[in-house]
Amino acid sequence: MVAVDLPESTRPAARRSPAARGRRAAGRILPLVPAFALIALFFLGPILWCVYASFTDVALTGATASTPHLIGLRNYRRMFADPAFGQSLWLTVVFVVGSAVIGQNVGGMALALLMKSRHRIARAVVGAIVVGAWVMPELVAGFVWYAFLADDGTLNAILRAVGLHGKSWLYVMPLLSVIIANVWRGTAFSMLVYSAALSNVPEDLLEAAAVDGASAYRRLRHITLPLMRRAVMTNLMTITLQTLAVFTLIFVMTGGGPGTKTQTLPIYMYQSAFKFYQLGYGAALAIVLLAVGGVFSVIYLRMMREEI
Amino acid sequence: MRRQWALVMTAVTVAAGLSACGDSGSSDGKTIKVAYQKFGNFIGADELFKKIKPVFEQQNPGVKLKLIPIEADENSYYTKLGLMRRSKSTAPDVAYEDTFFVNSDAQARFLMPLDDKLASWPDWSQFVAASKAAGKAGDGHTYGVPMGTDTRGLWFNKKIFAKAGLPADWQPKNWNDLLTAARQIKAKVPGVIPLNVYAGKGVGEASSMQGFEMLLYGTADKLYDDQTKKWVAPSRGMNDAMNFLKTVYSEKLGPTQQQALDPHWSDNVAAQELPQGKLAIALDGSWLPQGWIPGGVSAWPDWSKTLGTAPMPTQNGQAPGKVSLSGGWLLSVGANTKNPDAAWKLVQLAMNKENSLFFYIKGTQVSVRNDVTSDPEYVKGNPTQQFWTSLVQYTQYRPAYSVYPQISNQLQAATEAVVTGQSAPDKAVNDLAGQIKQLAGPDKVEGTS
Amino acid sequence: MTTAVSATPRTSRPPRLSTTGPRRRAAAAVAYLVLALVAIAFLLPFGWLFLASVSDQASLKADVPHQLTLRNFADVLTGDNLHALANSLVLSLGAAVLTLVLAAPAAYPLSRYTRRFGRPILLGLLFATGLPITAILVPVYGLFVQLELLDSIPATTLFLTATGLPMAIWMMKNFMDEVPIALEEAAWVDGASGFRALLRIVLPLMLPGTTVVFTFTFALTWGNFFVPFILLVDPAKQPASVAIYQYFGLHGTASYGLLAAFSILYSLPVVVLYTLVQRVLGNAFALSGGVKG
Repeated sequence: MVAVDLPESTRPAARRSPAARGRRAAGRILPLVPAFALIALFFLGPILWCVYASFTDVALTGATASTPHLIGLRNYRRMFADPAFGQSLWLTVVFVVGSAVIGQNVGGMALALLMKSRHRIARAVVGAIVVGAWVMPELVAGFVWYAFLADDGTLNAILRAVGLHGKSWLYVMPLLSVIIANVWRGTAFSMLVYSAALSNVPEDLLEAAAVDGASAYRRLRHITLPLMRRAVMTNLMTITLQTLAVFTLIFVMTGGGPGTKTQTLPIYMYQSAFKFYQLGYGAALAIVLLAVGGVFSVIYLRMMREEI
Repeated sequence: MRRQWALVMTAVTVAAGLSACGDSGSSDGKTIKVAYQKFGNFIGADELFKKIKPVFEQQNPGVKLKLIPIEADENSYYTKLGLMRRSKSTAPDVAYEDTFFVNSDAQARFLMPLDDKLASWPDWSQFVAASKAAGKAGDGHTYGVPMGTDTRGLWFNKKIFAKAGLPADWQPKNWNDLLTAARQIKAKVPGVIPLNVYAGKGVGEASSMQGFEMLLYGTADKLYDDQTKKWVAPSRGMNDAMNFLKTVYSEKLGPTQQQALDPHWSDNVAAQELPQGKLAIALDGSWLPQGWIPGGVSAWPDWSKTLGTAPMPTQNGQAPGKVSLSGGWLLSVGANTKNPDAAWKLVQLAMNKENSLFFYIKGTQVSVRNDVTSDPEYVKGNPTQQFWTSLVQYTQYRPAYSVYPQISNQLQAATEAVVTGQSAPDKAVNDLAGQIKQLAGPDKVEGTS
Repeated sequence: MTTAVSATPRTSRPPRLSTTGPRRRAAAAVAYLVLALVAIAFLLPFGWLFLASVSDQASLKADVPHQLTLRNFADVLTGDNLHALANSLVLSLGAAVLTLVLAAPAAYPLSRYTRRFGRPILLGLLFATGLPITAILVPVYGLFVQLELLDSIPATTLFLTATGLPMAIWMMKNFMDEVPIALEEAAWVDGASGFRALLRIVLPLMLPGTTVVFTFTFALTWGNFFVPFILLVDPAKQPASVAIYQYFGLHGTASYGLLAAFSILYSLPVVVLYTLVQRVLGNAFALSGGVKG
């Protein structure tokens, strides 16, 4: 029988036999089994392989394709010795903070708040446009933004039409350009998460506060946001992991350039894994990418705990 | 309630079980699998294998030909091919392969040497020597039959040339002639880019192959010495090539830095700059008309009237006077094929005279078979085809070693440093030499300057 | 805990105080204005896409076309492309439904009882979903060869589900945490099982969150290029994310008009899905309101 029991907190401290307790624990774990079995089957092995591969010189072609060697920490040492790696790491952090933590997160929250209790049609139209940006194939989103920001692109044409001078945006401010493009592309997800969370904030609580004379800002700060804390964290972690992996968008817009000014870790990794076919080094880079995601998540979890 | 969980789990298990239909007809030797790239309008290989499938199956009773078209860009194609080759059951018997990877795939023991088979194939004598060499790995064995090639040289706009007072049959004899023409255009025809030479990392391999290497191979030096089996860096030739780039970009004879470093610049050159008459001379490739012919991605009916062609000259006009670099694809046979004879028969059939001609025309390839080159059918429809084919006897291939893509990447970075003025040419070359030493190993590099 | 839900029925909202009326209306006007500006800002980059899709000679420049044409759309509406879209639909719907079916029961115990022990495992898996496919494609391909699952749409769907599950379970768990436990307690007392409580009480209450997970999984699978590309062999089984490559060419050239038209066609189903989900969401409020009331 699947768990029917009440949670500890509410159940009176009843005495049970160890066997019953065991059955109870099994019943609680059972619903986890199908999902975790699937994950274990398809995902666990590959993850462990990736860790292992990061200590080898395995490649997709060349002599080490069929006979890879264990090379200890050489991939990692090579990585830290490469000045391009440090720069990529920094660019990745800036890209994630700029486009996910600030751009998508704040933008998504603002949109969700603005759209709340607006007319159904307004919600549908704005929502569809924002979601349209999100579901555009990443490859096409890259071309869309390239065409928008290019020298003779749409943005410069608009600026010229109102008498302003355009710029070679992708050349002058490449990092900001890809950050804005990624905000455009990803805000929809945060908007969806926050809209869902907002619908769980009891309307009556806000009404009551309004009646008591609390300003809109105070209602947001003291009622809505605290109730949405968990959603904020869910969202931050999800978009951080998503943004860390953004590759195609940047690759199509700038190719990681000019120079190496937008060469984030995924772009750097693409070169080693796809252009140079060095899977081992690529795996080591992937592990570092995970560690970056880990650091971000630990920060979010800490923040969350302090709030409680 | 347990039943409901059981149901869910059964569904998952059944789904997993049902899906185990696997990869059919793999390793019994009765099926020959051929893997090839099919990419956008580049469907020549697909049409070729569809055409010969019935012929092959009729000639080889009991053997089926299975086509595995892989629809993706080059890097993704190669990644999938590499994965397929890692398992014996999925490795293709015959594959369409970049000449560039012959060496590393031979090292990976993915390929079967074809020396004996080629020796007894009468058609082999029709193939141009340079293209034969492209299928030869460092171990001396030949692993593939070339499917045509591409060559590189100069395209120029005759209308702009007329305005600048330059002849329509312009043939520069050395680098200086090239720069003189560019300067004359800059002075007389404002608003156009006089000369495009690719540089920087944005356009990737185009910058190495159509740019820096087309210059370097016109000097006394090369990137790799086949005799000593060492990379050559630094060298006088590298310095001169970098200086040429510096001249082009600092005198504003070339595109702006923004344009040159744009990852879509090579695309824009073919689709916009040349057709719209905004670029006078382009150091580029034989394949450009592919986009301009009727049905191409940027159809341009007047292209052959507007554009002229000229070989890229050597630095001082020294022999042989012309420079070209080539890439291109070949057909290889898998090392683990169960039926090498049938696989080889397929390669022979696919690359006989008739089918080579078919593929060259469909794929805008430059011929590497003498008997096809002299076929009137071959030059029909593309007035510049004869010119690009004439470069095959001068053409050279890149050093096909697995470290080359990384070295090429450093080449691109070095040219970028020069054209943006970050580094002086000799410093860029010295830095580059240091990087090549690091990538290839210090004992695999020799300097000449 | 109970204060938040023990609410007055939604249908009988108290009449607003007259002092807040005009201010609210002004706030609403500002909100509409800002929303309009946001919509325009989000639309602008699409300009090129729409222009290119109806242009007979599209390039990467946002030119007003010389001649408006619907030929690009006619050209991309081929049987093969519709087939690819159908494949995408099978993969994405399959993965999204399967994800929900597996993630909801898994998230329930993680949310309700096994926090301490479940969380580290879940977080570990969550990070692993950040692994780029490039880093794991060799073992994944090897696994599929071993199990003879290559070139199978159901197996590819299962793999896509597996890679999306950690994120989905985690999101589900967090949405579930928001649902007050008090409601289930009542059901438990009435003798309902955990499964029943989940199905009848928790899931309806977290429907907005569930739809986010569904849309998320669907959209992510819809745009996934590498997994189907590597795991499916037969071109007839490839989804639209792979088929898009037919509009590119060697040496970086592309047929931008067709690419733009195809992209619009390719994105439409997800926009439609979103709109449908939004409508379901609208009904869901009534439903959850009923439960709450």
